[in-house]
Amino acid sequence: MAAIEVQGVRKKFGKLVALDDVSFSVADGEFFCLLGPSGAGKTTTCKSVAGLVRPDEGTVRLAGHDVGDVEPNHRDLAMCFESYALYPQLNVFDNMASPLRSPRFRLSDDETRERVGRTAEMLGVAQLLHRGVDQLSNGQRQRIALGRVLVRPAEAYLLDEPLAHLDAKLRTAMRAELKSISHGDLNTTTIYVTHDYVEALSLADRIGVLREGRILQVGTPEEIWDRPCNAFVAEAFGKPRISFVDGGLVDGEHGLRFVSSDGAVEVPVPGVEATAGEAVRIGVRPHDLELHPGAEDVPAGRVWVNGVVYVLEHLGRQTEVTVQVGTALLSVVVPREDVPDLARDDRVGLSLDPCAVHVFARGEDERRISS
Amino acid sequence: MSTTVTETADPSGSTAAGSDVAPARPRPELRSSRRKALAGSLANVSLAAYFAFSLIPIVFILALSLKSNADQTTTYLAFTPTLENYRTVLGIGDGGSSYVRFFLASLVTSVGAVLVSLAIGIPAAYAAARYRFRGSEDLLFTLLSFRFAPELAVIIPLSVIYQQLGLYDTFVGMIWVLQLVTMPLVVWILRSFFQDLPAELEEAALLDGYTRRQAFFKTVLPLVRPGIAAVSLLAFIFAWNNFIFPFTLTSSNAQTVTVSSLAFLGGNQVQFNLVAAGVVMAALPPLVLALFIQRYLVRGLSFGAVKS
Repeated sequence: MAAIEVQGVRKKFGKLVALDDVSFSVADGEFFCLLGPSGAGKTTTCKSVAGLVRPDEGTVRLAGHDVGDVEPNHRDLAMCFESYALYPQLNVFDNMASPLRSPRFRLSDDETRERVGRTAEMLGVAQLLHRGVDQLSNGQRQRIALGRVLVRPAEAYLLDEPLAHLDAKLRTAMRAELKSISHGDLNTTTIYVTHDYVEALSLADRIGVLREGRILQVGTPEEIWDRPCNAFVAEAFGKPRISFVDGGLVDGEHGLRFVSSDGAVEVPVPGVEATAGEAVRIGVRPHDLELHPGAEDVPAGRVWVNGVVYVLEHLGRQTEVTVQVGTALLSVVVPREDVPDLARDDRVGLSLDPCAVHVFARGEDERRISS
Repeated sequence: MSTTVTETADPSGSTAAGSDVAPARPRPELRSSRRKALAGSLANVSLAAYFAFSLIPIVFILALSLKSNADQTTTYLAFTPTLENYRTVLGIGDGGSSYVRFFLASLVTSVGAVLVSLAIGIPAAYAAARYRFRGSEDLLFTLLSFRFAPELAVIIPLSVIYQQLGLYDTFVGMIWVLQLVTMPLVVWILRSFFQDLPAELEEAALLDGYTRRQAFFKTVLPLVRPGIAAVSLLAFIFAWNNFIFPFTLTSSNAQTVTVSSLAFLGGNQVQFNLVAAGVVMAALPPLVLALFIQRYLVRGLSFGAVKS
């Protein structure tokens, strides 16, 4: 097991900048998630650590040693490829046994059989061991690819979207399985690439959010959820997504207040590092809003805004309500039984806790300015 | 054309149905399946016609090879077949002939040329598929240009060089010069096979703890085997059929069967029947080889078939 340190890594493919000064470190035994949309450079980052991509600049350290000149097969890392990269000419058993037969990690035949069997059992593919790769579904292939990684101890695991092609049910089951593996007996340093924020939040010790080849924020799932460093990170986590309202800051009795451009939303925003008159954008997560179908008293300490129902989506026990407030649309999630008669265009009230409001500066980076 | 057929099939149904009932129209799926069947049989007929057409020269040369000296200039297919020509060409009962020697020379030079091309061409094709380096495209284009540049353009300087280097009329010299024919084929065809394989296969092997060389031999090479079989056959055929290089660069020692078959055209009497017998036998090795590796050939010639 080893700590991984990526420092100032840049990589260009032709004119395309894939990685632009990427730096982060993963502690020994830590489970680190790289989250980002497709094309953000997640796979390139992973391959730079593996030694499959040679960075133009920057260093990668494994256990404190610069591995810039170390061949991939001498880095003792195991990687799971998004494309599976299973050997089509070998059957499932031989695919999973491949690392245990290489000159670098060779084990006896008995040990190989035992380990492959155990790993296959854990991944629920034991009955597939004698199949050819072309006889597998994508979900099965993905589990075999994961099995080829988990079959041997490594300094670190690099998992590139290992659950992306599984169906929803299997994905949830495998997520739980991975969590128990990673935090249980193996406790191996892991870099886990995903575009699914739920995976990142549930699995990671820490998350690095990547966008267009840059690391935007690194932090624990709680830090990233509670204090997203900019509007992009805030938007990347949570479903329904965080709702944004554009407006400006004005002076009030108790400090700065946010007033939306159309004047429909007005919220005190204490502790914002800005001055009155500045244009800002606020974000409110759906779960921080409360829906009030009838006219009620404003709960203490909360801010009230009036709106009309714009869209209603019944999703099982919960209902997603999109409320139009002025020109802005705010999403809120409520238990279905609370809103039995709600219909489109109904007048409703929303209340929110001013402390749950995220304030971002306008401009290119939309950085967080609330505390 | 197919619409006329469905319409001729139609009236019998609609007249029988009478005026009260809705006119029976052929169901669309029926019409399309009929159309397909018709198109299929048309294709078969034209294929058979083309097959017969392309068979004519082969039948002609086979017939000629079985004709006696007296019949050889007629174009009739009615004659008394004789194997005498084959006996003469092979020198049976005559203490052997040089044809057998030239036949073996052809085998040695063609197989040798293919083996050398594979030994150098497979790594070259792999490198061309996986790595871009300064001048890599120019290098590949130069290689390709050997195929479309006329061989006659280089034959005079080549023969002078061969005379001076002592490569004239040697097996080494022939195998070497045939690289102009076989190497571009091997490199260009195998390159596309390698390109069809995802690079992540080798990357996975590297991370499994294999060296780059082992990754190549263990994961990549087995997957391009159909390609290697196909390209070997193609290269062999091109090498075997090559005429201009053995014609100009060999005399007796390393002369090949393509050139020596012409020997029967000289002398006192022009013997087309002997040429035909020699040519028919010379056509056998590529044919036999093709039959042997047919299984690979079909997969190999349909590019990209190795994709998983």
